[in-house]
Amino acid sequence: MVVGDVTTSTDVLVIGAGPGGYVAAIRAAQLDLDVTLVEKGEYGGACLNRGCIPSKALLNGSELASEAGQAEELGIYADPTVALDEMMSWKDGIVDQLTSGIEQLCTAAGVNLMKGTAEFAAENKIRIVHQGEGQGSESLKFENCIIATGSRPIEIPEFDFDDERIVSSDGALNFETVPDELVIVGAGYIGMELATVYSRLGSDVSVIEMLEQVLPSYEGDIASVVRKRAERFGVDFHFGYTADRWAASDGKAVLTAVPADEAAHDSEIELTADRILVAVGRRPVTETLGIEAAGVETDAQGFIPTDSRCRTNKEHIFAVGDVAGEPMLAHKGSKEGEVAAEVIAGEPAAVDYRALPAAVFTDPEIGTVGLTEDEATNEGVTPVTGEFQFQASGRALTANRTEGFVRIVAAKETERVIGAQIVGPEASELIAEIAAMIEMGAKLQDIGSTVHTHPTLSEAVMEAAQNARGKAIHRQN
Amino acid sequence: MVREFELPDVGEGVAEGELLRWQVEPGDSVSEDQPVAEVETDKAVVDVPSPVDGVVEELRAAEGEIVPVGDVIIVFRVEGEDEPDGTETAPTDDTTADSGHQTDEEAPTQPAEDAQSEPAVTQRVQVAAPPSVRRLARELGVDISSIADSSLGRITESDVRAHANTDSHSSSQEQSNQQTAAAERQKQQATSTQSVSSVQARETADRETTVAVPKTRHVAAKEGIDLDTVPTDERKDGEPFVTLETVQEYAEAQQQAQKTDREAVAERAAADEPARPESRKPYKGIRQTIGSAMTSSKYTAPHVTHQDEVDVTALVDARSTLRQEAEEHDIRLTYMPFVMKACAAALQENPQVNISLDEANEEIVEKQYYNIGVATATDDGLLVPVVEDVDAKGLLEVASETNEKTQRARERSLSPEEMRGGTFTISNIGGIGGEYGTPIINQPESAILALGEIKKKPRVVEADGEETIEPRHVMTLSLSFDHRVLDGADAARFTNSVQKYLRNPNLLLLE
Repeated sequence: MVVGDVTTSTDVLVIGAGPGGYVAAIRAAQLDLDVTLVEKGEYGGACLNRGCIPSKALLNGSELASEAGQAEELGIYADPTVALDEMMSWKDGIVDQLTSGIEQLCTAAGVNLMKGTAEFAAENKIRIVHQGEGQGSESLKFENCIIATGSRPIEIPEFDFDDERIVSSDGALNFETVPDELVIVGAGYIGMELATVYSRLGSDVSVIEMLEQVLPSYEGDIASVVRKRAERFGVDFHFGYTADRWAASDGKAVLTAVPADEAAHDSEIELTADRILVAVGRRPVTETLGIEAAGVETDAQGFIPTDSRCRTNKEHIFAVGDVAGEPMLAHKGSKEGEVAAEVIAGEPAAVDYRALPAAVFTDPEIGTVGLTEDEATNEGVTPVTGEFQFQASGRALTANRTEGFVRIVAAKETERVIGAQIVGPEASELIAEIAAMIEMGAKLQDIGSTVHTHPTLSEAVMEAAQNARGKAIHRQN
Repeated sequence: MVREFELPDVGEGVAEGELLRWQVEPGDSVSEDQPVAEVETDKAVVDVPSPVDGVVEELRAAEGEIVPVGDVIIVFRVEGEDEPDGTETAPTDDTTADSGHQTDEEAPTQPAEDAQSEPAVTQRVQVAAPPSVRRLARELGVDISSIADSSLGRITESDVRAHANTDSHSSSQEQSNQQTAAAERQKQQATSTQSVSSVQARETADRETTVAVPKTRHVAAKEGIDLDTVPTDERKDGEPFVTLETVQEYAEAQQQAQKTDREAVAERAAADEPARPESRKPYKGIRQTIGSAMTSSKYTAPHVTHQDEVDVTALVDARSTLRQEAEEHDIRLTYMPFVMKACAAALQENPQVNISLDEANEEIVEKQYYNIGVATATDDGLLVPVVEDVDAKGLLEVASETNEKTQRARERSLSPEEMRGGTFTISNIGGIGGEYGTPIINQPESAILALGEIKKKPRVVEADGEETIEPRHVMTLSLSFDHRVLDGADAARFTNSVQKYLRNPNLLLLE
């Protein structure tokens, strides 16, 4: 500990300026608390700099390129040329705009911003180590602290990230050229989103997955819609394999994958690649925090357990976002950030998600909220479901995007809506209606009787609700 | 055969009730519809009638216990009927879907925790209420899952308000548990300490949230009191509210109790000295060097500490303005360089302080250079890197050199020369806590300044002849000086100079 500097104090110290941290800081400042926000890197965290925003920019760019090139059916003949470096600078411009916006919002709200790496020195004291030789450090006492340090990509043995051959999602969002051959390890949502981007931009994409389906956390019929569409784009899947090692050969990398279960596959496979993207998951950033000095407990995976008020085992220390556990979603972090700030200000806030929506921006998109049929059964509720295929939607046909479906889950006894799964065009937007309905305690009839605009994709939501009641018009019930 | 009887839904939508009194005992014969128990719900006291003619075999709930609807409370033996395979659950009129799945093993032993875990599922799936209504319930302290939802419809704002009104002494499981726990603590306190004040005689609370004004929070924090444990009957916006007076009264009571405890412990300890867990490590190296330097300083120089405070609000503003500028030069600007510059300027104004005593030659050495040491705690102990000629260097230069040297002190890569030649030392006790301290002079210097933490404090501010109380940034100063060569007046004059520069950092521009 250094006492070479005068210690200052703050009501609320927020560590990390990602979507959990900056929201917490602004909310706390709005509640008239004295707030200091410490960030070691860029404002906006993984979401803005290495996640949601840049990946969505590239997904949009690649979608335009791919659709323009495949619209012969509509009588459009085009052969788009993609200048990836230009697409990247367009993306970087968006990221810059948003990150500087966050800085301005924080400053305008009266948040003190500090750059540096935070290390706990005691239960209510932090040392902020500044970057760069001889920049020193300073100490800060706090009454309350919100830990929002986020997560980082997991590395696997033999595949250390080198930003050349072996990249994490961070690296894959900054390629200078489209790789001819891209091997992706892991078919979770990050692997599948980037498979979508680069297959649409013309890469030869192979995906290695230990399990037997893509997007293992989703139901099989949803995952298979995404897998089929990816296969149409030419993505090769190797299920039941794990990446074992790689070697350089003729200016390329040759990756060797071994069977995850020798009963299923009996031999290794080799795949050549210009780049290998390892996307096997993310883990919380807690190890550099000196968290033990504050007496905050973590679980076996390094996550910080919290209660419904985002409190850790220490009354005055809170944790929000990825670092506080799954699911790692920016909007979950933001909501928790608000709750933590409000709890500190003495308001009766609590995390209260009966409907936490999630979206995967594959092609087609997935949007989910609330419970699945199985989860409802496990919670002792008898479910009833209704479905509607986009194939029967006029709007989907005119958009030339007919794959996928809407499924709504309700409690059979009360007909109350408790969940929905959508795979198909604009699923990430459509899911919002059902999230609102669940929050408001809507019944199937409430959705079914709400007039939906024609012709839109949202009609599929109405039809699915009616189907669950045996009253759909545009399908057999 | 044996009939288990579950607590029926004794009123519309009631989830649980307090078993007030048993009207039968095991072995009693009962006839159908004869009252066997009195149960109090949040709405009324009702008699629970026997569903059968038979003999009471077992009572499964104690008087005073909160029993969820659907829990088995009594077991009857019914004469003349067969006993096909063990027990059978007697159906009641209002048996809910949930109670049906309880197994024979579960039912009798199901404790309160099980009943509590139920709302978690209920919350997620069965209780339908818009977010605004759920928030209102939290504001009013109402457990939303305990609100009747008999129509399978949605809970509205007025349902929550009605529940909060009719049920201010809510019968929810959680609260009654808290009351039990509080009562338990109260009992313990009463037996452990004889002299209890009126506050302590009241129960100690254990709430989740407590409303209080910031000042109360501050006082509580200072006294080490958890506001959630301070008993109160007052409420504000539906939440328990604690006043400053209550906290002070409670703190006094606690201290009294702790004192009594300590005395008791001390007595026991004196009576019987047991082996205590402890470990030893060598007193050597830098720790020992610091030790002998401190001892020698403390016992050769008669230390006197002059203490004062300074309003540094303008400094806080100046630093926050200049920080941006400094960052463009890649320099981290903290408060320390300002204090160093202020001390150098004050030493120039008060040359009698910038001296050392050369005992061997019986001379007082007055120095015309201003080298300031910055006490830096490292993992091994205290080191004092020295920044030379602070008077001649710009603020940014001082900042950058200080940053660099304190960093290297921490890394233990500072050379001994870089810790020599100081004419004055600044230490910072605010880093660890406390307002004032007695720093020990870093000899051969003759004074040392310790800084407290910059804290917001209420201060009287005079502007245009009018006095107002405002929150100001205040820093405490503790100047220890060698009374052989300096007098109290020297120390006070020097401190006044330092204050002048810290109060008005613009003056440093003239330096």
